[in-house]
Amino acid sequence: MRVTRGRLLGGAAASALGAAGVYELVDRIGSKPARPAATGTPIEQHVLTGVRIVDDAGVEVVVPPLHHRVVTASVRADPGRRALRDARAELERLLAALDADYPPTPAGLGVTVAWGLPWFRTALGGALLAKLPRDRRATGTRGRDVLVLEDAERFPSDPDDTILEANDVAVLLRSDRLEAIEDAHGRLFAGVGRELFRVTSIRKGFAGGGFDGGTGIPKQRAVAAGITGAELIPDGAELFLGFTSTQSHALGPPAIANFETLGYVELGDSRLVGGTHMHLSRIDENLNAWYLNFDHRERLDTTFRPGLDVPPEQLTVPQGPDDVQTADQLRDDYARHRRIGHSGSLQPASRLDRQTVGPDGTVYPKGTAVPHRADFNTLDNPFAWSADPARDRMSDAPSAGVHFVIFNPTSDDFRRVRLAMDGVLPDGTELGFDARSRGQGFNAILRTTHRQNFLVPPRGERSFPLVLP
Amino acid sequence: MRNAVAAALGAALLAVTAAGCGGDSSSSSRTGTAATAPAAECPKAWRGDWQQIANRIQASVYCPSWMPPPLDGAIEGEYSNVSGVSDDRSYLVSFLFLDREAGGVAGEIHVNFRGYPGSTEIPTCEDTRTDRGKTTRVEIPCFSDPRGIKEVGGEEVTVYTVNQGIDQWHVLYAWEHDASLYTVSQHVIAPTPLTKAMRNLDRVMRGLERLEPAT
Repeated sequence: MRVTRGRLLGGAAASALGAAGVYELVDRIGSKPARPAATGTPIEQHVLTGVRIVDDAGVEVVVPPLHHRVVTASVRADPGRRALRDARAELERLLAALDADYPPTPAGLGVTVAWGLPWFRTALGGALLAKLPRDRRATGTRGRDVLVLEDAERFPSDPDDTILEANDVAVLLRSDRLEAIEDAHGRLFAGVGRELFRVTSIRKGFAGGGFDGGTGIPKQRAVAAGITGAELIPDGAELFLGFTSTQSHALGPPAIANFETLGYVELGDSRLVGGTHMHLSRIDENLNAWYLNFDHRERLDTTFRPGLDVPPEQLTVPQGPDDVQTADQLRDDYARHRRIGHSGSLQPASRLDRQTVGPDGTVYPKGTAVPHRADFNTLDNPFAWSADPARDRMSDAPSAGVHFVIFNPTSDDFRRVRLAMDGVLPDGTELGFDARSRGQGFNAILRTTHRQNFLVPPRGERSFPLVLP
Repeated sequence: MRNAVAAALGAALLAVTAAGCGGDSSSSSRTGTAATAPAAECPKAWRGDWQQIANRIQASVYCPSWMPPPLDGAIEGEYSNVSGVSDDRSYLVSFLFLDREAGGVAGEIHVNFRGYPGSTEIPTCEDTRTDRGKTTRVEIPCFSDPRGIKEVGGEEVTVYTVNQGIDQWHVLYAWEHDASLYTVSQHVIAPTPLTKAMRNLDRVMRGLERLEPAT
């Protein structure tokens, strides 16, 4: 049964809208979309199967899971080999039990265990450089060894106080069913899990819910939480900023972000075949500014590219290979309009500049997107819970934002895409924008609070990876 | 299907505010189109200064009889922010209350009235951006992102949500009378979310008295 606006607001008024109340409500208001059946368990942790595709305005769109959670933690286990072996076996037992209970689909549960550099430094010590894969492209361009996993950095449009985190591990949980996420959270981090990890933060959120008509979860939640400007979010919007972001063509095909697929990575250890890299950040979104200072024309210009002709009621804009902007087109937009679009600016870095054939023979045409996005909206401010509330600047007041999760083959690949968003193109060209310039409308209303990079091992090596010889 | 839903956004927004005002039947009607509702009347204490503007621009001016608390409509009063008439006879009257608390401003009530005698065109504003020392100036409409049209206070108003200048961050109602454009807007900021600002503007509209030049 769909819940009416009246019921939603009534429910919201009845709850205190504390952190827990906010997200409990999501499960009540988010009717579960019909999902195709699972098609086996992939070797990749970051790939979901059974994903539903819908047609919206003639564009294929991937329907994201409704509920998302990221739990970050530090490792309690002693770095000694025996302790790590025991911990590895224990965590794998917990994860395998989840695999047995839930298929890796939005209707089931997606579990992605990602590991940060602090943990690899502790576990691998002096063997770090020898054991972690190397980024061939970045090593070539920077003239020194560059690993696939680097410490996060602040980008030109980031505030000076963006916190660069140092968590050992992050676990991403995705499902249409909040109870599946709660179950996994409890099994991984309470009981036996408490002996493995000390939780450092809990991040909760949601996406979609409007693809079958009616009001999507982001608008429902933001309005119920009293976020200023939330009433102006389009009813069917997948995310707070209105436009759909999961067009099939804007997301990389299943294995493209794997270490081994595009030849960017010198893998070394074959146990990491099927692995990838994950960037996690938390970004404030000023919805009031987005909807009260940017009209439809400017929102369109700065989300996609200047001059695009799309009616106000259309939320999904084609992002196929033929819609990809080149670096020359971006330079032209900048020269003519002093403005670039968010999607357009990313494309010279995020899309293949030539046809590429993967090691399994899969042909990836020119213009294919590489990153897998898994971002979701949140009312966390900045997190649902933090072990260090002072450092994380925790507040009880809900705040619109996004927990940005993206899978690229390497830290440097993410870095190239993120720099392009700030007008620094892959060939080194810098389009002359000030930080958070209105010429890059998206950046003007975003403020990144936290960043960290992680390595995502394949399913077979997901538990305390590389600790066995 | 989703497009149809999205297309109804403006209508839904208008419906929310209309419902919010549904019980306010005691409000007066400025035009007297409802036989039982008395015409709105600009309070005597406020009328003089509004009448002076009408006389100066030789065109109609809309004087409020109700303002969002704690504001009043006294142009020379406690909450007067800025008022003036330009060379083209357009006028601006602005009222502002800042809820100050230790260390800053906790909230704000800000309402602007404008009139553009002899023109119904949406005026043009200049958008100035400076990046790395280079300044770009682009002409943009002062009122944009129309969210629907509705009748309130006897006028057919268009609701605009992206506005410039002193109306930036405001929701704005615009209507035409006698080949002239008039607007009233309120800042969308704590403690006034969009729907509340629109309910306030609905009530302001129903309380407007149109003053004609007397000299």
